[in-house]
This record gives sequence, structure tokens and C-alpha cells, in this order.
Amino acid sequence: MSTGFVAARSRGLLHCGCCGLVLQPAAGAGAPRCPRCDTELHALTPRSVQRTTAFLLTAVALYVPANLLPVMSTNTFLGIESHTLVGGILELWHSGSWELALIVFIASIAVPLLKVAALGLLAWTAHRRSTWRQRDRAALYRLVETVGHWSMLDVFVVVLLVGMVRFGVVANVEAEAGLLAFGGVVVATMLASSAFDPRLIWPEQDDRG
Amino acid sequence: MTVADPDTPHAEPVVAKQNRLRLSLVWLVPIVALVVGVVLVARSFLQSGPEITIALRSAEGLEAGRTEVRFKEVTVGKVLRIGLSPDRKKVVATVRLDKSAAGLAVEDTRFWVVRPRIGSAGVSGLSTLLSGSYIGVDAGASEETRREFDGLDAPPLVLRGEPGRSFVLDAADLGSLDVGAPVYFRRIRAGRVVGYTLDAATKALAVQIFIESPHEALVSKATRFWHSSGIDVALNAGGLTVNAQSLASVLAGGIAFDYGPGGDAATPAAAGDHFRLYAAEKAALAPDDGEPLRVRMVFDQSLRGLEVGAPIDLLGIELGTVREIAFVTGTKSRSLPLAVTADLYPQRMGRLREDFRQASGNGAQADAKLVARLVEQGLRAQVRNGNLLTGRLYISLDFVPKARRASFDVAAAVPTLPTVAGAFSDMQTQLAETVDRLSKVRFDEIGQNLNQTLQSAGAATSALQLTLQGADATIRQLGPEAQQSLAGLRETLASAQRALDQAGRNLAADDAPLQRQTAQTLAELQRAAQAMRTLADYLQRHPESLLRGKPDDPPVPRLPESKP
Repeated sequence: MSTGFVAARSRGLLHCGCCGLVLQPAAGAGAPRCPRCDTELHALTPRSVQRTTAFLLTAVALYVPANLLPVMSTNTFLGIESHTLVGGILELWHSGSWELALIVFIASIAVPLLKVAALGLLAWTAHRRSTWRQRDRAALYRLVETVGHWSMLDVFVVVLLVGMVRFGVVANVEAEAGLLAFGGVVVATMLASSAFDPRLIWPEQDDRG
Repeated sequence: MTVADPDTPHAEPVVAKQNRLRLSLVWLVPIVALVVGVVLVARSFLQSGPEITIALRSAEGLEAGRTEVRFKEVTVGKVLRIGLSPDRKKVVATVRLDKSAAGLAVEDTRFWVVRPRIGSAGVSGLSTLLSGSYIGVDAGASEETRREFDGLDAPPLVLRGEPGRSFVLDAADLGSLDVGAPVYFRRIRAGRVVGYTLDAATKALAVQIFIESPHEALVSKATRFWHSSGIDVALNAGGLTVNAQSLASVLAGGIAFDYGPGGDAATPAAAGDHFRLYAAEKAALAPDDGEPLRVRMVFDQSLRGLEVGAPIDLLGIELGTVREIAFVTGTKSRSLPLAVTADLYPQRMGRLREDFRQASGNGAQADAKLVARLVEQGLRAQVRNGNLLTGRLYISLDFVPKARRASFDVAAAVPTLPTVAGAFSDMQTQLAETVDRLSKVRFDEIGQNLNQTLQSAGAATSALQLTLQGADATIRQLGPEAQQSLAGLRETLASAQRALDQAGRNLAADDAPLQRQTAQTLAELQRAAQAMRTLADYLQRHPESLLRGKPDDPPVPRLPESKP
């Protein structure tokens, strides 16, 4: 299936991602390297779909403890209180600040889930060498990349609180295991999106994910 | 090789050996993540212990998700939810216990809400003013697990494992005791009242007390407990005695204990032992009364003023008390006799009883036999007036000298003690006897005698009159001689007066010779004294003159002759 465009890799040409050198490797060769900057050369990111899937699974695996375990605990003279993500959102919602609850919900729960779903879709279609709505999928990929920078919001908030709220007996905030898991989810989705090679959205004859 | 060479437009890459492994190492990442995730979640779930429910009267101060469950001030769980019981009578708090505290969810564990409390036992739970209420736990010792508990309304007064010992006091009356009231040993606070129960069937009152360590060893078999509430005022031959425990026990009531006479004071009593709670210290520390001997006394007189509890008195020793007063039924007598049932404590006879027992054996009826012996010797029961003002009666056992023979049935379940008529009826018979004797006196004879006496008295009176007349005449004859004697006496007195006047003049007048001579003598004496003083002064200044005599006067200096 051709879109009428020619991809470099189908012409037997390679492009060094580091120094921009265009190379023509001999057929059937192993792992080529750039003669100028010694960068490993690939027509496509190797095992892109595999790696993306692996990181996605990592994210899913960490998503469970991230939501079940408390992300932080406030230790005041009134007692120790642990907060989970969902618990915090519900608390905000019940106390009337539904807009804050919505923001936290989107940032902490919806976005990681949607990222995982979007990358899953991309990886699945790449694996299937699908040509379905290729431009939209490319746009989706760019969106995922962009959003990824902002996913650590919760982690930043908690880390700031832990650093700032240190009033001894009166109040203390401590990070809990859930935060680690949540950070792991965010990192795993970012790794997954970087592992995905968007060139696979437009598959050539002998591409292999 | 030049990169810009047009003949070789594309550089050839350096080829290294290819990794033939089809599967990427990246798959280790999700596996590790999965393991970590599973471990984290599993640990969190393993750390949380059982979920239990506690039914409470009110949820005051409790907050779902916030209120803690504390055992010995260590947080062992948290209230998850608070709801109502299906019948809406109670509040049900669902509590998640920590894994380490899972052993608390057993049959006899007790839960209560810790709130600030102020009572006679003190102030507790003040820390909850700041931190909010929490649920307190007293860990049970049972092996059987339990998931549904009924919360206590107030903290338990004895926590499991608190050093000390519990005892039960059988009381006739709670007095002013309350839960938390102090228990004193010689005015040292040794424990507290932890509760009381009233047996619904027998109406017996049991007071539970807890003696705190190390005082629990003070409670032995010989220990007696008594109400120490209030102030004990006694007026006796020794004066007024006011006895009170601490002010707290005066206000809130309390119990005191000490060793009673006899008994084993060394062996500590076991936990849960029963003791009697006496009404007062005197009764508690009195010697043991032993088994009572129940007797019956039939009186054929009104017993108005005799009450249940009235003393039975043997020659001044209170031997027992009246238990019951009832009519005797089935009697053929025309009157209506009354039967008094009383408990005698023969042990109060002391040595008398011991000696009798030594002499005649320690049988089951030994006490009854002793009374039977006394009855043989004339012991009778008699109702007497104890107090003339109130008309209170008591029963006195006394030896009546000429009593009719009576027996004391030792074998009967309630033997009958013979009686004699009471003091009041005694007086009636004595009065009748007196009247009888009076009637025997011959008043007519006395009258005749009296008449004769009066007649002779009249004759004596006339004789006396004659005597007096004779005396009168004699006095009249003596009259003129007496007047002459009196005139003579007057003259004598006048001459004595004159003699005394003369003497006065010789002594008192200014020119009386005695006075003049006296004045001269005094003047001479004065001069002699002056001379003596001069001599003494001189001698003081010139003591040597005693030896050498007075020195010559210094020569008078001569004036130089004037030249013409």
C-alpha cells in the first residue's frame, strides 16, 4: 500500500539521527553504525511496538497500587491521615470545590488512562500495519507527547508539600508508596511514547515493528 | 573516504555483530513493575487487619475515616464508616484494625469511646479535648475471634492486666457508695469500687471492689470491710468522739477495711472472694458472733414497744436480737399470747461457753445444752423497759430466784425459752400486795390510842400553865432589889470614867511631864547622832588618825609686816 510518497528506508537509505549523515548500508548487514559519529543506525526504532507495549504494561501494573495506596499522609496533632488519589478527589468534590476536583481527576486519573489507551491503540495499529486514519493517529501521537510533559503535576504537588510543610508536632506531610507508583506510571507512559516510532503509522513493505 | 564524494553519494555504515535475540530486554521493566506493584498492594492489604463493628450508644465525637482506635494510647485501627444499626437504636462504627492488632478482635475485648469525663473518681480523657474522641480498647484474653462488639458507655474501671485483685462485698445497703468510690486501709487509699449488682431474684446486693497493687496482699481471710461514709459521732463515758475518713469519702462515700479479730491475717485472699460489708467500723471489727441459736419466747402480755432488732440482754451482755414477733396460734388459752423469735449468739458468752464446751463436749447442740443448763438454774426471759422516755422494750434474760420449774427442749428446731411476766406486770402485782398489806393495818385501834394520847397531852398542858404562873410571881418579887443594884452599878461606872479622864490628861496634854521628857531625850539623841556622823566622816578621810591621833592644825600663815 503506497500513499504515493517514497520513504527513505524503502530506497535502502539510512539517516543518522545524531549527525544527519545519509548512508546506504549493504544489504543483509547486521547492526550498522554511523562512520562519522558512531551512532547506531536504524531504519525504524528497533522493536518499537514491543517496547511500547512493555512500558504500557508497566504503566498498567503500577496504576493499580497508585490508586489503591495512599499517596501522602498528613501528620498533625489531630492524628495521622492518609490520602489516596480517589479519596482526595472525593473529598474535594464533597467539600464543594468541584472544579478543583475535576482538575485533579483529569490530571491524575483521566490523563494517564487516556495516554495508555492512546499508545495502546497506536501500538496495536502499528503491529497490525494498519493504514486506518493515519493522519489522525499521527496527531494523536503528537498530542500524547505534548501532554506527557505535564503528567507529573501530582508528584510535584506532593513533593512541594513534603518539602514545605514541616512544622514539627503541628503538621507534617509525608510521601507514601502510592506516590512512587504514580510517578512510575507517568515515567512508564513517557517511556512508552518515546519508544513508539511514529514512522510505523505509515508502514512500508518490509517494516517490522 | 570522503563523505562529500559524488561517486560515493552515500556512506557505508560500520557493521557490528547483530543481536540475534528477538525479544527485547525491555520486557523486564513491566515484569519488575508488576512485581513491585503486586508487592506494594499485597503488603498494604496484609497490613490491614480484620474489619470489626462496634455498636455504640452515640457517635458523638466520632468521625469516619479520622477517629482512631487506641490500645494503651497506641493507634491500632481506624473508624472506616459510621452508620445506624438496622433497628436505629444504636450507632454502628465499622473499624479496620491493623494487622498487628488483629488479636484484639476476640470474644472478651471491650471498646468504649474516650471523651473528657468528670466524676467523683476524677477527671479523665482531657487529651481528647484537643485530639478529638477516640475509641479505647481493653484487650481480651479469649481465643475465640469475634467481629461484632457492643461498645461500653463508660471506660471500664478495671483494665485487663492492671495489677491488683478484685473482691466482692455482700452488702445490705449501698449507702452513699458509687462506682469509683475509694477503698481505704488505715486511711491509705488502697482501691476503688468498680461496680455493684443487685440480684434480681434474691435482692442481694454485691459490691465489686478492686484493690490496687501492692495493697491487694493486705486483704486476707481475716479482713473486714465496712462503710466509711459520713462522720461517726459517738457520745460515751469517755466524752464526744468524732471519727471520719477522708473528706472525699465523707462526700462521696467509701469503704474501709482492716483485720478483724481472729482469723488468718497472713494468707492473702484469692481474687473474687466474697466478704461481708459491715455498716460501721465497730460492728466490723467486733468478734465473730458464730452460729446463732434461734429460740422462741412466749409472752402473755402486750409487747408494745418491742421491735424487731431489739436486744436480748443477759445480765448486761447483749446476747442476741429479736427477729420476729407473732401471735401464737392454736392455743387454748383465753388470752392471746405473743411469740418472740430471737437469735442468740452463745459465742458472746465467751469463756462461759468455752468452759461448758470443754466440760460437756463440742456436740451440735452444745449451745442449746448450755442454755438448757442456765434455764435449769433459773434463767428466764422477761420484757423490760429500756427507755422510760420512748417506751422501748428489750428482753432481759435474768435469773429469777423462785421461778417455776421449766425446761428447755434441746432437740427442738426452735426451742422455747421459759418466760416470766415482765417488769411492768411485776409492778402491778407488787402494788396489789402493798394494798393488801395496808388493808391488814387496824386503823380503829390506832385512832383510840391517838385519842388517849391527846387527852393526856391536854392534862400536861394545864400543868405547864400552873408552872408558868408560879415563875411570873417569882420574877415580880425580885423587881425592887434589882433596881437598887442597877443604881449602884451606874455610880461605879461614873467614877471609873473620871479616873480614865485624869490618866488621859497626864499623858496627852502638851505640858504633860512624860511628853516633855520624851522630847528632850530625842533632841539629845539627835545631837549624839550628828557627832557620830562627823566622826565617821573624819575617820573615812583620815583613817590613820585612829593610830596617830589627830594631826595639828596647819600653822596660820603670817602676813609680812608692812614697812612704813
